[in-house]
Amino acid sequence: MNILNLLGGLAGMHLWAIATAAVVAAGCAVVGTLLVVRRMSLLGDAISHAVLPGIVVAVLLGGRPGGLWVLVGAVVAALLTVWLTQVLHEGVGMSEDAGAGVVFTTLFALGVVLITLAASRIDLDPSCVLYGILELVPFDTLLLGGVEVPRAFLTAGLVFLCLLGGVTLLWKEFLASAFDPAAAAAAGLPVAGLTTGLLAATALATVAGFEAVGAILVVAMLVVPAAAAELLVHRLHLVMGVAIALGVLGGIVGYLAAWQFNTSAAGMIAVVLGIEYALAVLFAPGHGILARAWAAAGLAWRVACEDRLAVQWRAEEGGERAAEAGVLNRLVCLWLRVSGRIAADGRLLPLGQTEAMLIVRSHRLWEAWLGRHAELPLDHLHPPAEWIEHHLGSEVRRRIAADVGQPAGDPHGRTIPPEG
Amino acid sequence: MSRPQPDSSPHCLEFHDVTVAYGRRPVLWNIDLTVDGPGLFGIIGPNGAGKSTLLKAALGLVPLAGGSVQFFGQPLRAVRTRVGYVPQRETVDWDFPVSVFDVVLMGTYARLGWFRRPGPRERELARDCLARVGLADVANRQIGRLSGGQQQRVFLARALAQQADLYFLDEPMAGVDARSQEQIFAVLSALRAAGKLIVVVHHDLRSASEWFDRVALVDMRLIATGPAAEVLTPENLQRTYAGPLDVLDELGRAVARRERTP
Amino acid sequence: MTGPFPLPYNTLVVAGGMAAVGCAAGVVGCLGVLRRRSLAADAASHATLAGVALALAATGRRELPVLLAGGLLTAIGSLVVLVMLRRFTRTREDAATAIVLGVSFGLGITLLSGMTARGIPGSAGLEQFLLGQTAALTAADAMLLGCLSVAAVTLVWVGLKEVVLVAFDAPFAAASGWPVFAIDTALVALLAVMVVVGLPAAGAVLVTALLVIPPSAARQWTDRVATMLVLSGAFGLTAALVGVAISAAVPRLATGPVMVLAAAAIFAASFFLAPKRGVWARWRQQRELQQEWSRAGRDPTQAPTKAAGRSGP
Repeated sequence: MNILNLLGGLAGMHLWAIATAAVVAAGCAVVGTLLVVRRMSLLGDAISHAVLPGIVVAVLLGGRPGGLWVLVGAVVAALLTVWLTQVLHEGVGMSEDAGAGVVFTTLFALGVVLITLAASRIDLDPSCVLYGILELVPFDTLLLGGVEVPRAFLTAGLVFLCLLGGVTLLWKEFLASAFDPAAAAAAGLPVAGLTTGLLAATALATVAGFEAVGAILVVAMLVVPAAAAELLVHRLHLVMGVAIALGVLGGIVGYLAAWQFNTSAAGMIAVVLGIEYALAVLFAPGHGILARAWAAAGLAWRVACEDRLAVQWRAEEGGERAAEAGVLNRLVCLWLRVSGRIAADGRLLPLGQTEAMLIVRSHRLWEAWLGRHAELPLDHLHPPAEWIEHHLGSEVRRRIAADVGQPAGDPHGRTIPPEG
Repeated sequence: MSRPQPDSSPHCLEFHDVTVAYGRRPVLWNIDLTVDGPGLFGIIGPNGAGKSTLLKAALGLVPLAGGSVQFFGQPLRAVRTRVGYVPQRETVDWDFPVSVFDVVLMGTYARLGWFRRPGPRERELARDCLARVGLADVANRQIGRLSGGQQQRVFLARALAQQADLYFLDEPMAGVDARSQEQIFAVLSALRAAGKLIVVVHHDLRSASEWFDRVALVDMRLIATGPAAEVLTPENLQRTYAGPLDVLDELGRAVARRERTP
Repeated sequence: MTGPFPLPYNTLVVAGGMAAVGCAAGVVGCLGVLRRRSLAADAASHATLAGVALALAATGRRELPVLLAGGLLTAIGSLVVLVMLRRFTRTREDAATAIVLGVSFGLGITLLSGMTARGIPGSAGLEQFLLGQTAALTAADAMLLGCLSVAAVTLVWVGLKEVVLVAFDAPFAAASGWPVFAIDTALVALLAVMVVVGLPAAGAVLVTALLVIPPSAARQWTDRVATMLVLSGAFGLTAALVGVAISAAVPRLATGPVMVLAAAAIFAASFFLAPKRGVWARWRQQRELQQEWSRAGRDPTQAPTKAAGRSGP
């Protein structure tokens, strides 16, 4: 089948809309990563609202929606926002949050009023401003190389390429200023210029997304993929890559879901992005909720096993038998038997012997260390050692032993077992 | 070491095996400390040693990971009105629309209870406290228009208005000019003479031996406590400043990650 | 025209109700600004849309109290989510607020659009909750909103000392035994209620402006909390009335943006004209000080006796 025919048909309309959403999401993810990492998410919120009067004025003065003048108007509005916020901050000591809040809501209100009053001369609908018209994007096209390409897709694509190019060129600078702006400025980097550039980039990304998803949902596309990516990976270039991937995925799945459920594409995209974020919170390796629960359970199990071995060792040291009780205890003993650490009658096998000795060594060494370095009565040494014994490794044990002078016994007089 | 009590009355302040963690990472390890009044008691140690944290843990501002703190033999909630607090100045928004007098009046709120407004008695008390710290003439000034020393004295006046028996001060002399420091110290001495116990987290080692009767040397754990001259010896300071903190650091990280150290 | 008044009864009641709402928004907003919780209120306001849509979908009823109850539920829900994000994830405060704001608004738009597409009765009218439209209010609605506003202001008056204490110095309040978390929660809940009460007038997107701009304007004129509350209420009331009037005169204008512009005008006037903190007053102070110093330069015995501006840290 001729690919041009496919693109021109109904399926093609949807494909173009999806492609536009994907490109918009990608551009927003690039900018959004830098905003989130520099704790400027709310400035992204502010700018996405404040560009509205800039866009409206540009269109009133003859520019086309999505055209160059609109981009200029948006950037001017963004810079005006930042400038006014600074004026309020320096002029009357308003905090930046409060100042930005006053400025961007006022500008947004101004934009809406302008649109309404100039409704006859503008074909922007105020509510569309809030949530875009992604579904109608494929119908406003330009002829490019024999193919009807949606104008919004072109704008978004160009903006994305510019943003990606700019970020790549200035990567080192952005990385340094994101990590530690004060140090970067002291080292001579033009941090203020970079920040201004970032704000202008936000304005561009907002305009690119304007027709697709409207002003407010641009905020979701800026912040949510980047925040989710931050939970999953930890190097900046990876965060940006994952953010782009999550954003594009959200755009595609969101559009398809909206088609399926017959509702707004922009809203659905935001919802899908939210679901992606929630999944990242749950499943992130290391710090995700499930990962933390698993680690906590793992620690509890290890502690139970080690405690059992240590109890057995102390019992054998003192010539008694250790008692068994409880379900957890039985599970632990089962595991210890299966893994060859204790025999069927509960006595320690060589492997269990070695491990138990190290636990007890850790415990008694820590008591000796506390006795030397902290002012604690004798009967207060045991409880801290009870949990520290599970966290001491061989290297730190060696340092403690050296520091305390290789003692033979703990402060209670009990022998400290040797290492290994 | 705790001083033996001649009678069986409870200690003013008692930390019993107190461990405090930020997140999962311990920053104070098993602190056992007893303080009796009246007197000026200093908590001394290097930056980041956890001195402020110890204070905040006693006041319930950060949770205890282990152990307990008792005031006059009881938990804090039973004796709140007997404890006064002067926090660090950084926590406050100096652009807040309150005057010096308003701030000092806030010290009377706890005894007033819910929804009752301060009356003439409370206002009289606030004026009196302002006079005691020498700020009677700036009572109506907005708090942002004061010098660092004056701001600290406002907080002190607020604590005085709490009419407590035990006062906690968190680095009261930091960033304060010498004259204000002397004024503050004079107020604290007067409190001591009136039979109160004042516990001060202090950042400066040299002035510590002049100002405090007894001190506790803290660096993530209690190193020593007792009369200032006995505690602030070169040997103890060596233990503090050249201490084996790397071990505690490693352990803290390992505990936070639920692992063993290397 | 009926009765002695030049305007119909309905219009008067709506105007009165909206005046009360504007006043309460200014008053409650003051506390939000002082306690720095205005951004949380912004997230809550964007979440109300989903609640309004759900209320319509669940009950099929279009009465304002029902819709607003739904809005309040999702507003509070969004605040709970915000707290949970802060506690259980490493995502920072500003990003968390933006996430809750954007996603909850997206949910609202999805529901709104889906319901409209399915032709559910009343769903088209939900659009007015985006930017506000007081012309659609009945007298009964306006009286309900007015009463809720009066209740909110009364609560502020009753609990003022507690909230100011916590807003000014939370650690001191906690150490003194006050339940800071409970007081904070009560304040945020009151902000959420005000957001919902202001929803029909100003819309989900702009209602927080009514909670932020009048207090910021009021702060310029005074250094005392009580005066700030009164002024903020007055400014909010004025902005609301201007919004209602203009929106009634030009029906295709949504009310929210007009109210916000009126509030912004008051703010701009305060910014320039307020004594002591205003731009003009500061300029005059600077000039006076310069004149005094240059005079002192010519004659040292005439050194200036008063300091200008602040001598703070």
